[in-house]
Amino acid sequence: MRDTRHMTLLTGIATLAIVLTVWTLASTRGWVSPVFLPSPLQVLKAGQLLISQGYAGSTLGAHAAASLGRVMAALVLTALVAVPVGVLIATSPVGRGVLDPIIEFVRPLPPLAYLPLIIIWFGIGEPSKILVIGLAMLAPIAISTAAGVRQASLGQIHAARSLGATRGQVLWFVLLPAALPQILTGVRIALGAGWTTLVAAELVAAARGLGYMIQSAAQFLVTDVVIAGILVISALAFAFEVILRIVERLFIPWASHR
Amino acid sequence: MSLLSFDDVSLDYSTQGAVLSGIGLSFRRGEFLTVIGRSGSGKTSLLNLAAGFLSPSRGRITLDGAPVTGPGRERAVVFQDDALFPWLTVRENVAFALRLSGRPRAERSDRAEALLAGVGLAGQGAKRIWQLSGGQRQRVGIARALAADPAFLLMDEPLGALDAMTRDRMQELLLRVWSDSGAGVLLITHSVEEALFLATRVLVLAPDPGRIVIDRAVDYGQRFLDGETSRALRAEPGFIALREELVDAIHAGEEANHA
Repeated sequence: MRDTRHMTLLTGIATLAIVLTVWTLASTRGWVSPVFLPSPLQVLKAGQLLISQGYAGSTLGAHAAASLGRVMAALVLTALVAVPVGVLIATSPVGRGVLDPIIEFVRPLPPLAYLPLIIIWFGIGEPSKILVIGLAMLAPIAISTAAGVRQASLGQIHAARSLGATRGQVLWFVLLPAALPQILTGVRIALGAGWTTLVAAELVAAARGLGYMIQSAAQFLVTDVVIAGILVISALAFAFEVILRIVERLFIPWASHR
Repeated sequence: MSLLSFDDVSLDYSTQGAVLSGIGLSFRRGEFLTVIGRSGSGKTSLLNLAAGFLSPSRGRITLDGAPVTGPGRERAVVFQDDALFPWLTVRENVAFALRLSGRPRAERSDRAEALLAGVGLAGQGAKRIWQLSGGQRQRVGIARALAADPAFLLMDEPLGALDAMTRDRMQELLLRVWSDSGAGVLLITHSVEEALFLATRVLVLAPDPGRIVIDRAVDYGQRFLDGETSRALRAEPGFIALREELVDAIHAGEEANHA
């Protein structure tokens, strides 16, 4: 068990090293034009410049903060809708009948497909951007919540009822806690979808944001900024993953002890 | 004096037909009722009716004259698979009924610790459910049910999954809990010896459809509490004879069904 984990870690580091080496060789040896693939060092320099002077009107910090704000706002607002939706799907036949088809309709849609419609309906402002990201997060959280609520055993529900729980108390004290590990999994998947959708959301009429920064740079073939932007998004997504794992370990310790 | 009555109660499942038929039963607080019978004889259905998880298809179930319409804390249930809440600590599990009724935190915690001490788990309140053994989990389940101050304690094979040693000790614990709480206990078991040792009344159910074929008063559990040893009681000729009679009753008609 420990040995395999060791092995995985070593292989991971080796893979990273090889990718960096090939990347460096490819750009320094001129296998690929630096316009298309700047060297890692060049990307690093571009990153430093992004932090100190910025690009497309804002510093890297401001771009990242704008994107982060959109993703977080979408997550919080979506969770407020998706968790109750998931509970209704799991607990009410009528709720399931009404909501399940809607969720299943939204789930497979690519954000770029419904982006124009949302702009027509809600304009090009900030709410549209958050809505596009939020729509992509809706299905993962709702479906995970519904699955999580079903994790509560009939015995646990009966136990609560026989100890005097009302239906509301069963929901609050049994169904939701039982669902928490799955809800967190849903949030994790939703964040992935959120970052994926971010660039699409910032396609139109954004003045700030990592997606906007990448697209602006791409139009002028400033490849190092494009790559730096991609790496920052990747780092942010990874940081969220780490935070969620810590949250799970600290606040949902029973998740690994079902 | 609480009284749980079954008046000519029948239960049908759409898929299986009659599960229980013509059940008449008066179950008083302070009695220790054990229920045995082959699988399919409706033991668990009987408990689910008493708990209010199921409603009778015909007949009436009343508690002190009032119809039973659903579960309630005067009829707390202990489950075979413990059905504890892993998101709560041991203490919070025990205090669950008090939390539902909005008792203050300090009172909940004191009461939970006292109940835990009563089931032999003093000082274990801060532990998590997965840190406990199977026997300890069942003790928590019993303490959680007792926290509701139930008039009736309904137990669905709570000792079924435990090893023999643990089981013996749990049987003694059940007798003490019964005696101390004054509750009426209804316990389902598939061990005839356990049923006979614990009960003040043994019920035997026969299947197709489930019905009561034996309803017998016994006193071994009370005599154990009065100081006689478990081994001596179980070795008595009367105990052995009754045990054989119950085993015969449980298996009566089995051959015919298989033929």
